[in-house]
Amino acid sequence: MDRLDELENQSIYIIREAYYHYRNLALLWSVGKDSTTLVWLCRKAFLGKIPIPALHIDTGYKFPEMYKFRDEYGKKWGLKVVVARNEEAIAAGMGPTKKLECCNALKTEGLKKAIAQHHFSALLLGIRRDEHGIRAKERYFSPRNQEFKWNYQDQPPELWDQYKSQAEEGTHIRVHPLLHWTEKDIWYYIRRENIPITDLYFAKNGKRYRSIGCVPCCSPVNSDADTIDKIIEELESTNTSERAGRAQDKEDTYTMQKLRALGYM
Amino acid sequence: MQYRPKLMVLSIDGVPIELLRQLVGQGDMPNLQRLIQQSTLRQMRSVQPTVSCVAWASYMTGKNPGKHGIYGFIDRKPGSYDLEFPNANHLQSANIWEILSAAGKRVFGMNVCTSYPPRAVNGILIGGFLSPSLDKATYPGEVAEYLQSIDYRLDSDAALARRDKKAMLYDLDHTLDARMEAMFHFLEQESWDFFHTHIMGSDRINHFLWGKVQEHDSYFMPAFFRYYRRIDEGIGKLLEYLGDDVPLLIFSDHGFCNIKKEVMLSRYLVELGWTKCAEKVQHPLSIEPGQSKAYCMIPGRIYVNLKGREPGGIVELADYQRTREQLRDDLLALRDPDGSAAVVKKVMMREELYWGEGKQPTALPPEDVGQAAGAFGKGPDLVAIPHDGYDLKLGLAGTDVFVKTELEGMHTYDNAFMVARDVPLSENLDITMVAKAILQRLEVDVPADLD
Repeated sequence: MDRLDELENQSIYIIREAYYHYRNLALLWSVGKDSTTLVWLCRKAFLGKIPIPALHIDTGYKFPEMYKFRDEYGKKWGLKVVVARNEEAIAAGMGPTKKLECCNALKTEGLKKAIAQHHFSALLLGIRRDEHGIRAKERYFSPRNQEFKWNYQDQPPELWDQYKSQAEEGTHIRVHPLLHWTEKDIWYYIRRENIPITDLYFAKNGKRYRSIGCVPCCSPVNSDADTIDKIIEELESTNTSERAGRAQDKEDTYTMQKLRALGYM
Repeated sequence: MQYRPKLMVLSIDGVPIELLRQLVGQGDMPNLQRLIQQSTLRQMRSVQPTVSCVAWASYMTGKNPGKHGIYGFIDRKPGSYDLEFPNANHLQSANIWEILSAAGKRVFGMNVCTSYPPRAVNGILIGGFLSPSLDKATYPGEVAEYLQSIDYRLDSDAALARRDKKAMLYDLDHTLDARMEAMFHFLEQESWDFFHTHIMGSDRINHFLWGKVQEHDSYFMPAFFRYYRRIDEGIGKLLEYLGDDVPLLIFSDHGFCNIKKEVMLSRYLVELGWTKCAEKVQHPLSIEPGQSKAYCMIPGRIYVNLKGREPGGIVELADYQRTREQLRDDLLALRDPDGSAAVVKKVMMREELYWGEGKQPTALPPEDVGQAAGAFGKGPDLVAIPHDGYDLKLGLAGTDVFVKTELEGMHTYDNAFMVARDVPLSENLDITMVAKAILQRLEVDVPADLD
């Protein structure tokens, strides 16, 4: 069994565990490469027909290519796509000019409302440990309290593949079947399985997106990688983080502190 | 066999030519003195606004900000009142390492401002002081492992300088020593075509101890000169390593002078009614767009809140020039309350300082300036150039226009220095011209759009 088979097996095991434990399970599908890989794995786990809804949090600011992809493959793969939008916040004028508030209102609050409305007790998410420092602390089964807070200092250990899957009243569990994958693993797997993904990942005019989300908050990276092979080749040599185009906020905080100390702020 | 580069650059941030002459004259930099005797020392102009990221972006591209798009350490994110922090991703041009790489040259760069995130080059690029962490700062990635192993620091701790200046000195020494160690390590790796190491600590020590030196502080004045002696020791070892015939440039990106006062220009614009603060000021652009005709970025960069360009713009394009002229008059009218000296020496319109095409500023209709796109369009509508001693800051949320903080030195425009050995340079020199001279010395075609 090669590495990709091992990764796949582990993920499918977690997906099935989650389905066994939670009556109201949903799959969070942002339409990015990771969550689309997760959809692919769910299709395998459930032998072609996914019995749980695919929840898409729509901020209204996603790339048009993402909406097109969602509609096309939602249909093609027979997914029960649930689109959730925080209409209230959108109507109140929330938008990317107020960046941090915008993410909170349209993504976090949007998700909160969808969970409440559909009574989801658990969600499958396509996050990976290597994406960001803080995600390295995640567990496969990760509880969130009523305020949506994650207490990373108080998590059950997950030794020998034993997972704590029970959640307290009012909380929900986030399940991360791709936690052990790396960005490169995802690309190798997409290549092997021939998984469809949006064109945004492929270079056009010397730029491509390595990570996608809302248009105003994603920046393309310089790249000529217009095929999966070239993307893999590029990832072998790059040292820039995957979310460099998105994780700007955290980097900005560092920069701001530095510039403040030097009197530039 | 000892490898020697085809051309070596050692840059020392923020050293004015007057200080350099003093250091050489009083025997603190004997190695540099020896080099100056064998080569040439000239005065060099920096850029406007005179901050390191703009100066180094202009150096590494050989272009003015109207072409490369970097106007300061912070900028407004186009189409919003959000901040962005310009880095190499915002640099709208190839840098010197890329130009040389494309010509097949082996290149090395370490610690130069605005080189993070490092672009892919034919060699090694290590980001400057705003790189968030070592593991993200290098191209190729594995270089970070070596740097980690020698306890290399991307930068000294500026926050420490505000708390404990003695601790800052220790930190500066350590940062410099590790950089010098890394420099020789990489020099010894191969025969580089172009090798550039940058020292940032001089800017820091000037910012935080300049006043102490003027006051002849018994502890900090000797410590200040000792730091420059340490740099000179590095230069000595470098000269020994290179021998007498490697083309060499040692230079600074801007000068320094004593701060009389820090001037909170945003506050001044608020007091005059040009800017209205948001209810909660979180950052320098926390303004009420519907009631702000103009706003300010550091240092001395003024933007008209222009309708059609800014998301909440209120100044009509037809009023753009009149608004700029009124702003200019108001800025020139700013006086130091102690003695009523003028604070602002000159106010330049964007098109008087920058150009997006060609080789020099051109007269443009104001409407074209207001509506311009690209790197030129990103520039400030006006730039206030202060008299020496008045350091233009922001201070939107503050109460006072004039303040004094731990900072003791500020940047100056026209007194950077350049020591050049076997690299022909113009007598009338500014930092934007250096890239061209390097390319010519290495017999690489100079891209047509360089200034």
